Amino acid sequence: MFESTNLELFPYPFHTIKEGNNYRYSNDLRKLDKDHQNCVVITPEYKKQIERKRELLKEQPAVRFQSYPHTMEMQWEVAEMLMKLAVEKYPEHFQIEKNGNHWTFHNTILNETESFIFGDASSIELEPLDLIGRHFTTDFVLMVNRDDNLYLEVAQESYAALFSPHWNKGMSFDEIHGPVPFVSRTGVPLAERVRNFLLRNVLPGEPWTRINWNLMANRWDVNYETFDTWGPTRYLVNSENAGELVRLRVEEQFFYRMPRSNAILFVLNTQFLAMKDLAQRPEWLMQTYSILSDIPKPMADYKGFTPFIEPTVEYLKNEVEQLNLQAK
Amino acid sequence: MVYNSPVLFDQSVTIVEAFTIRQDRRKLLIISAEPKEVDKIHQFIKEINGHKDYELVEINNALQLENVRELVERQKMGTQLYISAQWDDAVAIFTSAIEAGFSEDEIQTLISGEKKRFVYCVKCYHLQEVKQEENDTICHHCQISLEVGPFFSRERKGYIGYPYNPAFIPSN
Repeated sequence: MFESTNLELFPYPFHTIKEGNNYRYSNDLRKLDKDHQNCVVITPEYKKQIERKRELLKEQPAVRFQSYPHTMEMQWEVAEMLMKLAVEKYPEHFQIEKNGNHWTFHNTILNETESFIFGDASSIELEPLDLIGRHFTTDFVLMVNRDDNLYLEVAQESYAALFSPHWNKGMSFDEIHGPVPFVSRTGVPLAERVRNFLLRNVLPGEPWTRINWNLMANRWDVNYETFDTWGPTRYLVNSENAGELVRLRVEEQFFYRMPRSNAILFVLNTQFLAMKDLAQRPEWLMQTYSILSDIPKPMADYKGFTPFIEPTVEYLKNEVEQLNLQAK
Repeated sequence: MVYNSPVLFDQSVTIVEAFTIRQDRRKLLIISAEPKEVDKIHQFIKEINGHKDYELVEINNALQLENVRELVERQKMGTQLYISAQWDDAVAIFTSAIEAGFSEDEIQTLISGEKKRFVYCVKCYHLQEVKQEENDTICHHCQISLEVGPFFSRERKGYIGYPYNPAFIPSN
């Protein structure tokens, strides 16, 4: 299990709550401004995360990567964009050489090169997104726009939360979000509203973002395949050990409309912060305590943390009291 | 068939208790593969009462069932398909219709007898049949206990089977 050590790079999820300290579901997508459209991020944990991601992909390829054979061209398009973003943001770490269709991608952090004929899947051993995706700590889901909906056709996911590329392959956006139990104020299911919003607003060159969050007890990936293992561990949490065992799991999501295929690429940057580390930012500690004490039960059930929300709130309450005592 | 093509499963929107006339269709095509339901079919034809063009095709053997593909392929736009059959035959007819370009809105399915239901073990990716009333079962392949969830995958052709440990009982 790795944890975020540079809090400056940790996408704290409740920044956007301006008034009050309650969290409720809403369409919280934001358009990215010109200076923040690049999803590539190198954290201090980069090497550790890449190592773990590759281990998981190697151990369980069918669990972590899924695609349809007809997606090769789309995958090359995504791979090209990711390499371009990496080179633009971190030229000291990533370079690309192009000699016609013969490309070489250099990753100097890992001291690796990938050479291939762009557009020719037979020139590489893995599929294009599976290969290039292994240079980035983020997860990738390619949702293809068909019949006014988005369908999952490619996914490389190593940090799945109540999700599985294998199970969710081929599902529409609505089917994937079938378990979301909420409707908007106008009575429209939230997932349908968000899907329509994505289809209308995510345009080529205009990426959007949102931050999804959850709590995890002593696990880094909670996919469907291992439910029998991690399900019971949620009951190990008490108010003494919650600081160590419970982590704020934050998924910074980026949405890019691919100009050639018209698909939408979901890039998921997953970071963890242990409850004990919230104390490093007293304002985060106070706000997180307030938000978690007021979580409606259906939301806790949906997010899967009902078994340990009470001891976690108890732990945070003690932390806040200690903070208040110190302030006096 | 492509990956997101409709499939016939126990909660399919096409499954009905009784056929209803679609006034907005040009022609009604009734495929009757279950002799036990013949009374229902005659009753439906009586309801149509000459107000709509209809064609009744009776399927009595495997050869006729094979010819269904050709039958549905030669239908024109504006045809509403009515399938009366036992489960396996209904699946075969339904699949042929989807391959021929019918949408779910253009199909009504009347199932005679039990509807089949499948669960997909997300631990070992094995698909197996479960009874309608079964909420949990054991995976025949990896032997893990499975809770049958409410979500269906067209790709995997079954309901999600969540693996769980029956020996674990939450303290609260």
